Amino acid sequence: MKKVQFKSKYTQYIFLAPTLIIISIFLYLPIVQTFRDAFTTQDAFGFGRFFAGWDNFKFVLSDPSYLVALKFTFIYIFVITVISCSLGLLLAVQANKVIHGKSAYKTLLIWPYAIAPAVVGVTAQYFFSERFGILYALFNSLWGFDWTANIFDAYIYLFIAGSWKQISANFIFFLAGLQTIQKSVIEASLIDCRSSLRRFWTITFPLLMPTTFFLVIINITYGFFDTFGIIDTTTIGAPSGETKTLVYKAYIDGFRGLDLGAAGAQSIIMMLLVLIITIIQFRYIERRIHYN
Amino acid sequence: MKFIRTKAVALFLLFFSISPSFAKTEIHWWYGNSGFLGDVIIEIAKRFNESQDDIVVIPTGKGSYEDNLSATIAAYRAGDHPHYTQVYDAGAAIMVAQVKNGVVIGFEEMGEKYGIDVNADNYIPQVKNFYADADGKMIGVPFNSSTCIMYANMDILKKVGVDVPTTYEEFEEIAQKIKDAGYIPLVQSHDPWIWTENFFSRHNLLMTDGNNGFDDVPTKTLFSETPEFITHWTKVKEWHDKGWYAYKGRGWGDNQAPFNAGEAAFWFGSSGSFGGIKDLPINFTTNQIPYWSSITGGKAYPTFIGGAANWILNGHTEEEYAALAKFIKFMGSPEMDLYYHNTTGYTVVTKGGGQLAETINFYRTSPYHKTAPEQLNLEGATIPGGYRAGNWPQIREVIYENFPKILTGELSVEEAMKRTDEGASKLLAQFAKTL
Repeated sequence: MKKVQFKSKYTQYIFLAPTLIIISIFLYLPIVQTFRDAFTTQDAFGFGRFFAGWDNFKFVLSDPSYLVALKFTFIYIFVITVISCSLGLLLAVQANKVIHGKSAYKTLLIWPYAIAPAVVGVTAQYFFSERFGILYALFNSLWGFDWTANIFDAYIYLFIAGSWKQISANFIFFLAGLQTIQKSVIEASLIDCRSSLRRFWTITFPLLMPTTFFLVIINITYGFFDTFGIIDTTTIGAPSGETKTLVYKAYIDGFRGLDLGAAGAQSIIMMLLVLIITIIQFRYIERRIHYN
Repeated sequence: MKFIRTKAVALFLLFFSISPSFAKTEIHWWYGNSGFLGDVIIEIAKRFNESQDDIVVIPTGKGSYEDNLSATIAAYRAGDHPHYTQVYDAGAAIMVAQVKNGVVIGFEEMGEKYGIDVNADNYIPQVKNFYADADGKMIGVPFNSSTCIMYANMDILKKVGVDVPTTYEEFEEIAQKIKDAGYIPLVQSHDPWIWTENFFSRHNLLMTDGNNGFDDVPTKTLFSETPEFITHWTKVKEWHDKGWYAYKGRGWGDNQAPFNAGEAAFWFGSSGSFGGIKDLPINFTTNQIPYWSSITGGKAYPTFIGGAANWILNGHTEEEYAALAKFIKFMGSPEMDLYYHNTTGYTVVTKGGGQLAETINFYRTSPYHKTAPEQLNLEGATIPGGYRAGNWPQIREVIYENFPKILTGELSVEEAMKRTDEGASKLLAQFAKTL
């Protein structure tokens, strides 16, 4: 095969330039600045700046509320991923079976995906308001639900608010995944096995693994970064700071508390966490997945 | 509609001012109020712009107080900051500390240079102290100043047959009766501001070392070392258990809602809330916030102000500062002061405004406006009004993380106070490093 090459050594850089410039300004420069902030102490306006070494990291890691946020973030991500993946899968499998009005079901189930997290939060508020919330009234009559006082109840509030939108996202991808499975494989399995449940777990689900793997990563990223809007519009960390995620905590310290050093340190810790999780996933989990 | 029209006028003026033939001096004023209070700010700018032909003040709303402070800082760092910006009480220490860095021009310095008569004594003492530096020199230009007051639902009190309490002891005597009649006796909207910061001031107690930060940079809060404060929160816990006090989370509005709906007898809120609730179908009065007579020996001390001040930012031209000085003078006039007081419920900040109110007998027609200025002007306090402590927005977060646990019984009062003090000390030390 003949290689196409540029005549000048520099032409390719001209083509790359627009992308590189945009990426450097909006991605790399902020990362460099974050590192600079994380290792300096400065006041809100950027004065009194001096090199602080690991001080900001020590400050953050010795802050009890940071550890609370760390714990909550992991619980939150785990529960949301489990709830939204399993419900998304269930709905996708059922919607795939529907023959009449398939597109109507699909459209209705996909809708929530288009809603911004902040709007999801405000919507959830209507359900969980003490004064007029339907779910608040229901849960309150069942076990005295009160998310302003009880951590467990606040968790429920956020789990429902956080996974609702994500169910839609997972639904679309699972549905798409189901439709890529070859008809012949399904038909063959129909002959071999009578139990539809068993067919699902032994044939359909393994074939969906690439989709599932992709969705788990997407959901973890969502739990880490996109839940900010939901928390800011619902509990704001209630009952007493137990429902702050790491991103929310970094926001509070950086933009409300105006401590850019501590917020920068938190961003870097978060970056490392996401990096580690992703490496683990790709090294150990992806190996066990077979792409077609 | 009126709101849209004022915005249209502001836009129109903006366009006009750009056209070179007019060459008006532009003054940018950023603020952190929204809704009704934001409209009033636009109205003030409009009145000034109409009063003369050379200067145009362009107000820009940035959202909440916190939003405006971070927007101002970001703009300053980018070299694109306004002339004048509104920063709230908890951010006062941050702004005062910026005078030495040349970010903020002090009010008095501005006055000397551009001929505004800035006599600190023209301001009511609580306002004057809060936005001044350690030497008592005024830095911020006092603007919207409120304090926490007690709103009382008179229909409930009448039905139960009790009077408005002036002390917490009196409240304890009537609370059970109110509860028995099927009402919530008490709700309040802000743990840090009302039942922490103002609690200390109301009882003439120091909240931080360094004389509330006015003499020295504070290193710790005195929550766990103040037995009176511990007693108060022990009582609050008791009230909560007995159903005398209901806590609805940290949302300001969530705690106010039962009062608005006529379900709660007393609500502790801001005097600046008056404008927003005066048209509700409840029959209410405004009253001074109660105090523990056992702590003060029967004497009532002033609370301090909340709200915000306007701050002059450095880096613009002489001509623009001269123009800004005219605007500051305009806003500081007794007429504008009283106008703002009347429309919003925020207190008058100048003595001139107070005198004007007396002259025209303002409080006879609007007695509810009187509570906050009266409470602020109480005499005899031996501690400075307010506090000057850095990282305060985050210290408020620490309070929010620990105090609700007192009510749920998860932490004892002493333990919650100790943890808050520890968290606050770290944050204060962090701030002190940057000075």
